[in-house]
Order: sequence, then structure tokens, then C-alpha cells
Amino acid sequence: MLTELLTKDTIQLANFVNTWQEAIHLAASPLLKQNKIEARYIEAMIHSIEKHGPYVVITPKVAIPHARPTEGVNALAMSLLSLQKPVLFGPKKPVFLIIVLAATGHASHLQALVDLTKILREPKQIESIIACQYKEEIIKEIQQIVAKESS
Amino acid sequence: MKILVVCGNGLGSSFIMELNVKKALTELGKVAEVTHTDLASAKAEKADIYIGAEDIVNQLPEERGHIVSIVNMMSISEIKVKLKPLL
Repeated sequence: MLTELLTKDTIQLANFVNTWQEAIHLAASPLLKQNKIEARYIEAMIHSIEKHGPYVVITPKVAIPHARPTEGVNALAMSLLSLQKPVLFGPKKPVFLIIVLAATGHASHLQALVDLTKILREPKQIESIIACQYKEEIIKEIQQIVAKESS
Repeated sequence: MKILVVCGNGLGSSFIMELNVKKALTELGKVAEVTHTDLASAKAEKADIYIGAEDIVNQLPEERGHIVSIVNMMSISEIKVKLKPLL
């Protein structure tokens, strides 16, 4: 499931961004281009963090910005931005990986989240994704982790 | 025993954390009902333990039950250490 959502079209690598807001805009841009989300969904994700704080930094170095399905999601989607230099989502919250979640309903994205959980439970796996220099490497890394866990 | 995992939107991070809380309980050999919800609903829902990111659970009124704030939501060991005394 996760490997169907995170593909060469939805994975991006960048050197650095100036702000966490810019990171979310950039990370979500492939989904906007594919019409999976509307522009207001990006604003909703940003607003959610402004309102509740950087709780989307689910584990060191990783943020999973998301908002509600009703705030502009057209189809279940996920995208990944990997940064060479971290961006701060809050004091002492440097983030290298931004994974945008766009869910259409509460149940539809659960398997993808289960797969994502398998990746994020191991700091070593997070490090190996951050170390990737090419999209193809990231895809391969994710495929290996998901396959390993389910066998 | 009911544990409510709370996040800003009630899907995404709270679901991922629900998986981790369930894994932590299994490792501790404990049984509890675990569900997830958003902050607004959590304020109206009764539970024995409310668990979530610091930014979120600190917005809950203290008299509602035990409030557990988690720094690393993917860390099974942090969840275990903080839940154990309350189970």
C-alpha cells in the first residue's frame, strides 16, 4: 500500500528549505499537481500546526503533516520530501523527512499508515532513508523495509 | 481500563500512536481498550488515560484522568515507561 503511494512522482529530494511552512508547501506540491488535494488542504495542515504546535514531528527527524479529509482531500495520497539539511518545526525539532498524509476517510489510509509505522519505529531505517541521494534509492529502501516486516 | 490516544485531527499521528500503544501493552503483558480521537472529541470523551504529543495533551483539562505526554511517538520504550505505573 505504502509503495503504491510513495512513488517517483510523489517523492522529492531537496537541499534545504527556509521554513517549515515552505517544507509543507514543497512536500505537498506533487499532490496538488495531481489534483489529489486542493490548495486549501496545504493551508489546513499549516494551520493545524500553528494551532496545536509541532506534534506532527512524530519521532526525531520526521514530520507527518496532515489535516482532516474534509479540508480539501480529493483522493487518498501521500508524498515524501527528504531534505539534506534539516528545517526546524519547533525549538529542538529538526526535521529531515516530511511525509504529507492526505486521507479521504478514516479507514482508507490505515494500511499505508501501518506500513509507515514499521519504517518509523526503527531510527536506523529513518537514517538510511535520509542518507539516500536519489528517489530510486528511497523507493528501494521503503520496499525492502515493508517486505522484510511482512514476511 | 480505557486508553485514548489524542492528536490534533484524530487520524494520522493518533492512529500510528495507537498501534504503538497496543504494541507497548502487549510487551508489558497488559490488556486495555485503546482508541484514538481528535483533541476536541477527547475533551468530551471519558477515559482512564489520555496519551499523545505534549502539545496536544497539555490542552486537556487535568481532572479528566491521567494525562501522559509522549516526546517520541514512535518509541515503544518511552510509551512503556510512562504507561507502566498507571496500569
